[in-house]
Parts: sequence; C-alpha cells; structure tokens
Amino acid sequence: MLNLLVLTILFSTPLVLAAMGGYTSERGGVINIGLEGMMLMAACVGALASARYGPVGELVGGILAATVMSLLHWLMTQVYHIDHVISGMALNAVAAGGTNFLYLKLGDPAHGSGLPHLPITFFCISAIVVPFAIWIYSRHTRGGLRLLAVGSDPDKARLMGIQPVRVRFFGLLCTGVLTGLAGVELVAYTGVFTDNMTSGRGYIALAALILGGWRPVPALIACVAFGFFSALRLQLQGTPLFGAQLPSQLWAALPYLVTIIALAGLIGRNRTPAGLGKP
Amino acid sequence: MSFAVRMRGITKRFGSVTALDRVDLDVEQGIIHAIVGENGAGKTTLMRVLYGALNSDEGSLEVEGKPVKFGTSREAIQAGVGMVSQHYGIIPELTCLQNLILGAEGGPILRNRAAEERANALATKMGFEFDWQADASSLSPAGAQKLEILKLLWREARVMILDEPTAMLSPADAGALFESLDSLARDGATILLVTHRLPEVLEHCRTVTVLRAGKRIDEKAVAGTNGSELAQLIVGGALEASTHTAPFRPGAPVLEVSNLSVKGDRGEMALKGVGFQLRSGEILGIAGVDGSGQRELFESIAGLTKTVEGSIVLEGKSVDALSPSDRIAGGMRLIPEDRHAQGVVEEWSLNENAALGLQRLSPFARGATIDGSARHEMASKIAERFDTKHGGLNLPMSSLSGGNQQRFVAARSLCLDPRLVLAFQPARGLDIKGTLSVYEGIREVCRNGAAALVVSFDLDELLEQCDRVVAMNHGRMHEPPADRSKDRDTIGRLMVGAE
Repeated sequence: MLNLLVLTILFSTPLVLAAMGGYTSERGGVINIGLEGMMLMAACVGALASARYGPVGELVGGILAATVMSLLHWLMTQVYHIDHVISGMALNAVAAGGTNFLYLKLGDPAHGSGLPHLPITFFCISAIVVPFAIWIYSRHTRGGLRLLAVGSDPDKARLMGIQPVRVRFFGLLCTGVLTGLAGVELVAYTGVFTDNMTSGRGYIALAALILGGWRPVPALIACVAFGFFSALRLQLQGTPLFGAQLPSQLWAALPYLVTIIALAGLIGRNRTPAGLGKP
Repeated sequence: MSFAVRMRGITKRFGSVTALDRVDLDVEQGIIHAIVGENGAGKTTLMRVLYGALNSDEGSLEVEGKPVKFGTSREAIQAGVGMVSQHYGIIPELTCLQNLILGAEGGPILRNRAAEERANALATKMGFEFDWQADASSLSPAGAQKLEILKLLWREARVMILDEPTAMLSPADAGALFESLDSLARDGATILLVTHRLPEVLEHCRTVTVLRAGKRIDEKAVAGTNGSELAQLIVGGALEASTHTAPFRPGAPVLEVSNLSVKGDRGEMALKGVGFQLRSGEILGIAGVDGSGQRELFESIAGLTKTVEGSIVLEGKSVDALSPSDRIAGGMRLIPEDRHAQGVVEEWSLNENAALGLQRLSPFARGATIDGSARHEMASKIAERFDTKHGGLNLPMSSLSGGNQQRFVAARSLCLDPRLVLAFQPARGLDIKGTLSVYEGIREVCRNGAAALVVSFDLDELLEQCDRVVAMNHGRMHEPPADRSKDRDTIGRLMVGAE
C-alpha cells in the first residue's frame, strides 16, 4: 500500500511539471504539443551535464536545453507565424533524433547507470508547489492576468495596450523551465539517459492539462490520477484478477485507456482558451 | 477657448478608397461633441485615427494643446484618450474586475481588494452596480457598455470616444448613460459621441460635426440648428417622409405561439407562458428592456433553444419538433441579433454568405452541391436591395463596414419568398435612411403575405414602423389595451412592469 503511494508520487511528478509547463504556454494562446520534445532534450542534456558537472550542472543544463527549445517554439509561432501544431511536431522530431545523436557522440558509456543527481524529493516537492504557485500567479499578478487575457482574445488585449508577443515570450520561458525540470527528474530517477525515455509523457501531460480544463489544480489532480493508474499497473501486473490471468499488454494500456475515457467523457463545459492558436 | 482635440487635414486611404479626405475637427474641452453621418461617412475611421488604432496618411493631431502622433492605441491611452468601440472590448472569459483593470493594473501584484474598492467608488459615482467577481460573459449589452465607460474612467481618460453607445440600450438605459456622460463632461471630460440618432444629438450634445463621404461638411452648435437641418446635411438632400401609411389588413395566422416557456442561459425561467398570434401582412413589434426574454423568444421560434412547454405553429403546422433548417425550409427567415456571431462568416466572401442558412433552398441547392452561378446572381441582388456598398462579391465579408454587413444580412432574410421574418434589431448600426429602407423592405414582403416579428430596444422605432407593439417584462408578454395600442407611455409602463 505504501509502495503504491510512493510509486504514484514518483510517476506523477514529471507529468505535473510538464503539464504546468503546458499551462503557461497554452493559457497564453500558444498550442504546445512540443512538451514531449522539450522534456526529452532536457533529459539528454541533463544527463550529459551531470556526468561532467554534477547534480547542479544536470539541473541547469536540462533547464537551459528545454528553454532553448521552448523559445524556438515562440520564435516560430509568434515571429514567423508558423502553425503551432507543426512547430510543436518539429520540436518533437528534432528532440527524438537529436538526443539519440548527442548521447551517442558525447555520452560516456563508462558511467552506466548511477549519474549524480539531486534528491528526488526536490522534484516531488516542486511538483506540489508549482501548481499552487501558478494558481496564485494567474489570479493575483499582472503577468498572470495578461497571460489569461492574451490567451482568451489577443485582439481585444491588444486594444487595451497589451503586446501578446511579449506576454507569450514570458509564458514560454516558464514552459522551458518547467519542462526542463520534468526532463531532469526522469534522468535523476533512473540514473541514466535512454533513447526516447519520455515515452509519451509530454502528450499525457498535455492530455491532463486539457482534462483539468486548463486550470492548474485540476490538471494536477489529473496527473496524479494518471500516475496512480501507472502505479497500480505495476503493482497488479501478473497477479490474476477474478481468477483470470490478464495479458501484461492490457495492464500496460490501463493508464492510457483511463486517459482516453476521461478525455472523451468527463470534460464538462468547454474551457478551451478562446485565443488558442490565434496570432 | 481651450480645445481638447484638434485634428487638421486628416486623410486616410484604404487602397484606392479615400475614407477620410482632409478632415478637420475641433472639440472644446468639457463638452459632449457629436460626430454624425451616414454609414461609411468616415465617422469610425476618424475616431480610430484619434485613438491610434489607425495611422492617418496625412494630417496633424493635437490633444490638449500638445501636438501628438499616435502609432498605437497604447500611446493614445497614455495621452488620456480612450475609446469604446461599437463591438465592445470585453473579454468574456475574464471577470468584470479583471476586464476593468486589464492593461492598467497599477503594479505587478494585483491588489484585488483595493481595485474592487476603487471600482466600486467609480461605479457608485456613475450610479452603476457591478458584481465584480462575476464572469463578464454574464453581462447584458447595457452592462458591458457601462463596464466600458468605467474602463475609461479607470484609465483616467480625459478625452472619451464612444462609438454608437446606445445602439443596444433600452430608452431607460440610454437616458441613464447620457446622465452619466453629462456629469463626466461637467467634471471636465471631453466626450466625442459617434451616433446617427439625431434626437440624442439635439438633446445631449453641445456641438456637432457632420461628415459625408469622408469629408467634413459642417460644424454646428446644437443650439443653433435643428433636426431637419442636420438630416439634410447628413444625406446631402431632403429626406422623404416615411411612406408607411396604408392600414394593414391582416390575413390568415402565420405564427401562433401559445403558452411558451423557455429556460435562459443560467437555468432560470426566461420566458413564462407567452402566447400571441401573428397574421399575414402584419409587423409585430416586441418592445422591452434588454434581457426581458426577447432573446429566448426569438431563439425558441427559430428552433435554436429547447422549449420547456408550449407550442409554436407556423402556417397551421406545428414546428415544435422541427430543426432550424426545416423551419427555414418552411419559410422562416432570420435577421439575428449579433451579425458577427450569428449572421455572417466574416472570412467568407459575400457570395458565400449570400447562401448562408439558405443553402438547402432553391436556387442555391443543386443536389448535394451549391449552384455557384445562382448564388452569385442572388448575392448581387441581395447587395443591391439595400444598397450595400462593397468592393466586389468575391471579397470577404470582413471588408464591409458594420452597417453594410447589416444591410446585407437584412436583405438576405427578405429574399426567396419568406413567410415569417424574425428580426432582432434589424436596423442595428444603420443610419436613418438605412433604417427606413430595411423596414420598407420588411413591409414589402408583408404586403405579399408574409408576417414579421421585430424585436428592438428602440421603442420609437417600433411605434413608427410596426402595426402592433407588445411589451415584454421579466419573461411575460403584455399587450396594451386596444384603445391605447400605440401609446408610448402605456407601452413604456408595460416594459418596466408597471401596469
């Protein structure tokens, strides 16, 4: 039972951080399916930096890498007006191929698993603090209000003297930092970088954000629910259920199935930011 | 004499069209100055130049004696110029308070309590009342208008531009608005009022500038002019009086509504047991303060809202179970309230918009496809009917000014032999001539056997144009007694629920 709780927290942590990264981008009106790529890049660069500069280097390197990716997304969508989905897909493709290449070239096989890293508790605590901090930020600060305004109607916001491009720059800066944290957590937890180690967590985080109606605390709950089902799968896999032995693939599919069902059926009223994808 | 605004030789061209041709404007400080003119005369364009939302090609601008040049609205706001545009700048997803302070938050940390106090102080001064934490989407048009005015005060604007502020307001709300504008002007604010309602100009403004076809025609002190002189200056010739005099001879019932109850957006009963009959040849006007249930009545007859109980019968056949498109096939036509959201697709061409909603009817439909040439022909007929000014039927709807879009939407509803015309503020944003011609168009289809239901917040317009006027109040319909069926006071009292 305690094991299940610990696993739930561990599995939820990167999702929460990535989902919050998605929040600061999408509430400003920038569609961001590049969360996956940003996390993966952060994991790779974090692992490389860790081998050389230790745990703090890992954190800084990972965050920098994700931030560069994120600001690239800002540049493409806001300055060059490339379609947001296409830009995000491009980032994911770059990260998938690029991390593989980087790690082959620069990685040190002697290290094996056991890279130096910050304590996992650090990441878990940030995952708890960040959603509430973001909630307070969006309700009680000028930046938060402008982020929501720009995400809802960039044209009207412009009439009130606000520059959407600037607001979105800061939004995507936060996205970079948070997805960076999420990526570094993955490496810290496993102690090693492996190819495509995010395995869709960026997309799941985005789904959780949507499921939470683009609100930080409900998104946090959605992430924890997903983490719980992933943990449950690990606990119950292999044990017979009602006398029948379920194939392991079915267990592996469980968290995703739950996400799909929740996405399809449980979203109440439409809370999509009205300005999503608008210039 | 100190001038709050001096504009000299303002010229603005859009492509080959000269929207403003060397326009001068002088506005004294501390008065209400009206800008009048027909649709497309350049009123809004001139004001957008003053607000920095458009850059003029030529000309100079002085605000409070200082020469200025506004590249963006941000600079205009900083110089103390504020504008409420015809389509409000309220973001529905934010709360009223958030909308109020957006762009002028006064520091990186929001002090919601202090902001609410100041907001309440401003609101009380103007005699308004707001639930600041409520979503702005819950505001009525009158409420949104009030919030816009408070936004100007919040930013301490000293020159306030209001573009058609009373277009959506009931007479009572409009009266209240002018009271607040008067008090603002007394406190030293300068108010520029874009309007085409001449009574407003004569009653509330000190001076007036007349624009026609992008040129400044004249500037007058209101005390030294009168309605007919202004009307002549605006259209550049004598106006014909309204021709509607023939008494109507109602025929068979076209629309029978009985005991209709409908729930509103927030689940409250917005329509309570409404029943009436509309006969062939008749134009029925629905008067009432905004939010009295007109919207729900309109939408339930059109088939856009579910009814709780009651029945709607169109030409002897119950339409309760019919979809909106079946009702359209049965001869129902709409002039919707909000042309942007419900009337046109702005990115589509005029051609495409001509068939919007009517695409299943002949001559548009050809099997499962649309007959392009028939549509083109119909589009040009629609554009001609009320003299819609456009640059080509293939251009997007968004290239038309608001008034011209309204003409197009109204004309579309009158084509293809309508049986019942549902019109919600059919003359919204139209000038005198446009208003008269739209009502004349409705009158004409009614002479051919159709019937029309007109909702408007302008009681005078209804009294002048409709055969019969009923009032709505809190979801109920009240018919004035037969001997006072067109009595303004009687209906005005019914509108506010005092019988």
